[in-house]
Amino acid sequence: MSFIIGGAAGTALSPLPWKLTDDLSIWTQMWPWTPVPPDGEISYDGSTCTLCPGGCGIQVRKVDRRAVKIEGTPGHPINDGGICILGLSGLQLLYGPTRVKGPMKQTGGRGSGRWVPVSWEEALEEVAGRLAEIRDQGRPESLAVFSGNRRGTIPAMLTRFLTAYGSPNIVTGASLADSYELALHRMQGVQASAGLDLDQTDFLLSFGSGVLDGWGSPVRMFRTNSALKDGRGRLVQLEPRLSNTAAKADQWISINPGTEAALALGLAHVIVLEKRYRAQFVNEFGGGFDAFKQMVMSGYAPETVAQITGVDAKTIVTLARDFSKASMPAAVCGRGAGDTPGSMNEVFAVHALNALVGAVNSAGGVWAVPEPVEYPWPEPEMDETAARGMQAGRLDGAGQGRYTATSSRPEQFFEAIRDGEGYPLEALFVVEANPCYSQRDPETVNAALAKIPYVVSFSSFLDETARNADLILPNHVYLERYEDVVNPGVFNRPFVGLVQPVVDPQFNTRNVGDVIIELAQGLGEPVGGAFPWDSYEDCLEQAYEEQWDALTGDGFWMDEDFTPAGWPEAFETASGKFEFLPEGLEGGYAPLEIEGASGEYPLVLVPYDSMRVSTGYIGNPPFMTKTVSDTVLKGDALLVEVNPKTAAQLGLSEGSRAVLTTAKDSVDVRVHLYEGLMPGLVAMAKGFGHTAYDKYLAGKGSNVNRLIGPVQDPVSGLDAAWGVRAKLTRA
Amino acid sequence: MKQERPKKFGMVIDLDKCTGCGACMVACMSENNVPFKPDETDKLTSITWMRVYELNNGKPFPETDVCYLPRPCQQCEGHHGHSPCVSVCPATATDYGMETGIVSQIYTRCFGCRYCMAACPYHVRYFNWWDPVWPDGMEKYLNPNVSVRMRGVVEKCSFCYHRYQSAKDRATYEYAEGDRDSLELGEDEYQTACTQACPAGAIIFGDLNNPDHRVHQIAQPDEKHGGRPKNPHAFRLLERLGTNPKVYYLSNRDWVRRQGDNTLAGEGKLKRH
Amino acid sequence: MSTVDEHEKDVPSEDSGGKSPSPPEQKGKATAYVIFFFFVGLIASLIVGWIIFPQLLYSQKKQPIDFNHALHVDLTGDCSSCHYFRTDGTFSGVPTLWGCIDCHEEVQGDDPEEEKFVTEYVWEYKEVPWLVYSRQPDCVFFSHAAHVLNGGMDCVTCHGHIGESEHTRIYEENRITGYSRDIWGRNISGFKRNSWDRMKMDDCADCHEEARDSATKDEPRAPLGRLIDNVIRVGFPGTYADNKGGSVQTQRGACFKCHQ
Repeated sequence: MSFIIGGAAGTALSPLPWKLTDDLSIWTQMWPWTPVPPDGEISYDGSTCTLCPGGCGIQVRKVDRRAVKIEGTPGHPINDGGICILGLSGLQLLYGPTRVKGPMKQTGGRGSGRWVPVSWEEALEEVAGRLAEIRDQGRPESLAVFSGNRRGTIPAMLTRFLTAYGSPNIVTGASLADSYELALHRMQGVQASAGLDLDQTDFLLSFGSGVLDGWGSPVRMFRTNSALKDGRGRLVQLEPRLSNTAAKADQWISINPGTEAALALGLAHVIVLEKRYRAQFVNEFGGGFDAFKQMVMSGYAPETVAQITGVDAKTIVTLARDFSKASMPAAVCGRGAGDTPGSMNEVFAVHALNALVGAVNSAGGVWAVPEPVEYPWPEPEMDETAARGMQAGRLDGAGQGRYTATSSRPEQFFEAIRDGEGYPLEALFVVEANPCYSQRDPETVNAALAKIPYVVSFSSFLDETARNADLILPNHVYLERYEDVVNPGVFNRPFVGLVQPVVDPQFNTRNVGDVIIELAQGLGEPVGGAFPWDSYEDCLEQAYEEQWDALTGDGFWMDEDFTPAGWPEAFETASGKFEFLPEGLEGGYAPLEIEGASGEYPLVLVPYDSMRVSTGYIGNPPFMTKTVSDTVLKGDALLVEVNPKTAAQLGLSEGSRAVLTTAKDSVDVRVHLYEGLMPGLVAMAKGFGHTAYDKYLAGKGSNVNRLIGPVQDPVSGLDAAWGVRAKLTRA
Repeated sequence: MKQERPKKFGMVIDLDKCTGCGACMVACMSENNVPFKPDETDKLTSITWMRVYELNNGKPFPETDVCYLPRPCQQCEGHHGHSPCVSVCPATATDYGMETGIVSQIYTRCFGCRYCMAACPYHVRYFNWWDPVWPDGMEKYLNPNVSVRMRGVVEKCSFCYHRYQSAKDRATYEYAEGDRDSLELGEDEYQTACTQACPAGAIIFGDLNNPDHRVHQIAQPDEKHGGRPKNPHAFRLLERLGTNPKVYYLSNRDWVRRQGDNTLAGEGKLKRH
Repeated sequence: MSTVDEHEKDVPSEDSGGKSPSPPEQKGKATAYVIFFFFVGLIASLIVGWIIFPQLLYSQKKQPIDFNHALHVDLTGDCSSCHYFRTDGTFSGVPTLWGCIDCHEEVQGDDPEEEKFVTEYVWEYKEVPWLVYSRQPDCVFFSHAAHVLNGGMDCVTCHGHIGESEHTRIYEENRITGYSRDIWGRNISGFKRNSWDRMKMDDCADCHEEARDSATKDEPRAPLGRLIDNVIRVGFPGTYADNKGGSVQTQRGACFKCHQ
């Protein structure tokens, strides 16, 4: 006993308990699973963000060789230091667990999830073997490539590969940019992208465009809005829902969905009637103006348009006056973020409105922007097999018949394969796209893929399409690779952004450009002959030889002195003038029939875009999902917006569980009452309902693309569906 | 090392420019090693140092209007530095710095009693109920300038104080090299991550005590009346509580300004503090 | 009292032939035992606490390469050739391979340690996993710029005479916390003789308080007096009218000055 007491006394006098307490308190604050990021030298590397078509310049802060923060490049012509929520989350894509770490084969059959890693040599040998086999059988046209991007060296190389190989089936995802290009082609006779002179616009009239919800080049649109708010001008938003754009607009005018073209013609009516149009333009360069005038005057008086659109006549008149009185107005269209092509009738009507006020190739208006560079590549040599293959004709019917000006029709591509039309495909490559999720009616895509014996995905992530593939040849993530971003969203000067590697490749991935070159060279002449470069980097440098210094120095090249063609030179139509009434607008407002019988489906479902959810190839990173409000996502349930009046009629209240049904599919949802939504509509957020990726994204909500099927536009042959009829019943 | 004049770092957030995009939220999360969970829909436990709230004017369609309000820590000064949270912390884990006006939070001292969370009227303080988990490889993007918290401690926005520390380091080096005349920082040398990221330019950050800084010029804080803004379009959240916060909001819309404080039904013009 | 009866109960019946101690003696013996065991316990625990505990607590680790500072300082002149400030004001700390490669791309001398360095690290592009004696926890923000450039302090005050050493010291790592023995101090009781013996928060505070007191022309106080002052400041804020420290709770300069 005394021994113990003595021991205790001695221990107290020794440093043991004090030191032990101090050490234990430190130990309890340092669990080994709480990371301590190592310090190091800080450096900044510049690149261009590719996560949306916006093309912002980014600078990535690195500690030693790790990237720790992405920031906007100050002084960049597109974003000037700003950066959007998706750009900021890029590091979660770089380091995330859904990265495909190396080439993988799905050995248990598609969808089994049994993946076996293979070496690049093995994988490329297998692919090369298949490609050679297809060619040997004399059916090179049965190889198709689906590319998410349309512009830049990678899509150009994919096209070149297919041409030399002998297949016309290069299919690219379609968006509003395609519709705008078609409009410029039909109305101005030029092959150009549509750019907006946002530095000068003082009245932006938006026909449902998500100007602040991801349309065009998001950060640039935000900066424009702030400049307008600082006194430069006004933003007027026309849409049936109080989106973020509508909330920030100086005026929000609620309009029946799908009737935007009618409103544009109604505004045109007032402007023509009161002679508020830009006479110098219209009189000298307005081709077909008399017919146009006749059409709008006879059928689109404010009272008539009020009936169609639900916007009262007085508002229409005032808006028309305000718009035409502005010194540099511009009207834009293309719902939400503009990632669906939309109705040509609408695009024509809105562009005609622009022309009426002279906002074509003028200050503050819509500019026709040419390609910045023509790649110095000679035409690829085609051997007999290739020549015969090219004769086979595209499976999607683009570039032929009615659709000569449309370069790609992705919906028709998948439908043709599903229905066994044309000829069967042997192989499909999917690059920077996730059609099994992001195409309208993904079931069609799945059904089509089931008919293709060999599917190779180049995705960096294990997304829905990759899960449905036989082989994944993972591409580097944008922070690890070279690439180019050409004429990004509505930028009004020829522009090329350089994507540069900022970190070493984290895994065993390869730039898809390098893989194409290797595959081509492996096939021998003449395909290999079309790809004489050692690497994709060489190819890129050669393609932009003159601009390379600017690209590597500033991170971008821009034709600073570019001005759009003046009116006398601007129009290459048959008449040499701007065509006010192209085919597709001659009959005036031609509403698009959305799917579903109104009796069975009394409501209309409209999807909406939000800055906080990524809807395309890139799956929503965890940071962004975290910012989604609990009125949109609660647990795993997606909440759809319903006006309280409509909800009351259906016996639904806030948070009620319900079933949302359309002609295409039916999903479980919960209800959120939102006064900002027009009664009779149901609004559903895009970007949810993933079944691939990881626990941070999979299983949350439902994919609105399942509920809406594509509706073909009669002019472009592209998807113009803006919604679908639906019913909402209590669960 | 004495400073010439105490600084009061503050923000002006223009609610008419804020688009509700959420970039500030993610910029903060990325800069400050804020953890994330698979399910973040329970907003009571979701840690967002910067959080964007949605206000609405309560009117039915089509007069509905919505406004987005980003809310960082308001860095309350109270009376002479007695912020609500500082006044109640039993562990001295949080303290008000008189030289910068920033309320600091030391994770190693905090033992998680959450008294500060109860005291804070703005709900800017968040508790780490769980240990942070960075999936497979994501810990590589963690910022070494900000300590990583474990469970059991409270965290909150610090106006990116680590950027202030870095800016001072740089200024010290440049001054020693003779490349600058004084150790005073320029307005754009110390900016928070949210300010820098905001694509709409809606957030402005600077020294409220410095007449050359934009925050001072816009907000026009009135020293004699507890720092309330002289700018009629500016307001502070819960002004009448007397917390003397440093984040000023701007709006041309009456209904937005009115929602900055709690009012009783039928209360007319808000009495000034 | 019947002593004999008691005696009969207590004492064993057999005649041991030895002494039969009397009660006072027995009591005294018991007391002696108590005192004896007390001291045994005391001394044993003191030995454990002062000698055995430190040996158990610290693991002895060697640096991956036995680096000769004296040799390199002779060649380069001073500390700042390898331990320098970067242009953004941060301190480079322990040099990375990049700093050594200039000279050590090939083996320069005949020291086997250098050969090991060049073959196993330089040629393999592998960073040497140095064990840093002065490594502080993640929560600490220390600005070398403020102390060295602004404060004019020299390296030795905090880091000791490393520059004069010809061999790297054994890195004694605390098995519980993982930090070097240099942080708490070589002396297990935590008392230090030189300013570079310890590197805990209190050691930073020592220097800062001296500086603060001299700046405000207070008489430098003895440690005990300062301790009492601090307790009063923290426990009863507002007792002293001054606000020298620049913060509210601690009157000491808000925590973010040194923490992150």
